[in-house]
Amino acid sequence: MENKTEQEFIKQIQQHQNLIHKICRIYTSCEDDHNDLFQEITIQLWKAYPRFRGDAKFTTWAYRVALNTAITLFRKKTKGINTIEIDSNIHRINIDEYNYEEEEQLRVMYRAIHQLGDIDKALVFMYLEDKDYREISETLGISEVNARVKMNRVKTKLKQIINP
Amino acid sequence: MEGLDLLKKEWNKESNFRKITETEIYKMIHKKSSSIVKWIFIISVLEILFWLGINFLTVDDNYLKMVKSYHLSSFVMIATVIHYIVLIVFIVIFYNNSRKISNTSSTKKLMKNILNVRKVVKYYVWYNIALVFISMSVFMTNMLQYDPNITTIFNKASASGEETGLWVGLIISFIVMTLLMIGLLWLFYRVIYGILLRRLHKNYRELKKMEI
Repeated sequence: MENKTEQEFIKQIQQHQNLIHKICRIYTSCEDDHNDLFQEITIQLWKAYPRFRGDAKFTTWAYRVALNTAITLFRKKTKGINTIEIDSNIHRINIDEYNYEEEEQLRVMYRAIHQLGDIDKALVFMYLEDKDYREISETLGISEVNARVKMNRVKTKLKQIINP
Repeated sequence: MEGLDLLKKEWNKESNFRKITETEIYKMIHKKSSSIVKWIFIISVLEILFWLGINFLTVDDNYLKMVKSYHLSSFVMIATVIHYIVLIVFIVIFYNNSRKISNTSSTKKLMKNILNVRKVVKYYVWYNIALVFISMSVFMTNMLQYDPNITTIFNKASASGEETGLWVGLIISFIVMTLLMIGLLWLFYRVIYGILLRRLHKNYRELKKMEI
C-alpha cells in the first residue's frame, strides 16, 4: 500500500516536474540553489501528499505547496546573484528560432525578477501561470482587491528595475 | 512585445529544464528536509530540554539541606508542582501548534502557524526567566534571614558600621546577575531565531501590510 502511494506520487512529480522547475527558476539564480529548492519542494510535497485529496487538481495543489516552500520554508545557501548561470540557462532556450534581441530581453527580465521580494516573486509566477485573482488571493491568504493592487505594484516595480 | 508579456509568451514553451528521472525523485523523497520548521522544532525541543536539565542538575542533597535550613521546603514543593503543571501545558500547546503546520494552507496561514510555534517557545522561556527571578528573590530573602554564615557577616558588618555598604553590594550583585542572565538569553534569541526567521518575518509583515 505504502509503495503504491509512493509510486503514484513519483509518477505525478515526474509528469509535472516542469511546474517545480519553473518555480525554482523564479526563486533561484544558480543551478545549485535550483536543485536544492527542487529537492525541498519535492520533500514538502511528499510530506503533504497524505492530505492531498482528489477533489483538487494535482497541479493546483502542488503549485501552492511549492510556492509556500519557496516563500516560507526554504533557506538559500548561496548568497547574491549569480548572473553567469542564469545566462547559460537562457542560452538553451529556443535554439531553432534564435532571436537575439528577445533572448536579451528575457535575460534582463529574469535578472529583474530575482531582485524582487519572495511575495512579489510568487505574484510574478502566478501571473505567468495565468492564475486568476481569486486563486492568487486564496493562495497567499489575502483579499482579491489586495491581490490586484499588489500585482500592479509588482509590474511597476519590475519596470522600474529594468528602466531606472 | 516586451517585459513580462514577452516572458509570458515564452513561459509555457520552455521545456529545456533538465529532466529529473523517477529514480532521482525516489531518492529525493527519502532525503531529510532542511526546512526552517524542522530547525525551529529541533531548537525548541533542545531549549525545553536545556531548562529541564538545569532544573534537574541544580537539585541535589546539598540543595535540599539548604532549602530546609532556609525554611523553604513548602515553597519549593508548591513551586515544583506548579512548575510541572505549567510545563505539561506548554508541551501540549507546543505539540499541537507544530502539528498544525501543514503545507496545504494558504501562505499567510502557514507563516502565522510557524510564528505561533515560535511565540509559544518564547513565552516558555520568559516564564522560565520569571521563575528563576522569583526563586532567586525568595532564596535571597530567606538566605539573609536564616543562613548562619550571612548572619555572622552581617553582625561583623554592623559592628564596624559597614552595614549599608554590604546591602548595596548585595543588591547590586543581585541586579547584575539577573541582567546578565536576561541579556544572554536575549542574545541567544537574536542570533539563532534572528537568522532563521528574519526572512519569514519580513514576508509575513509584507502580507500583513497589504491587509490594512
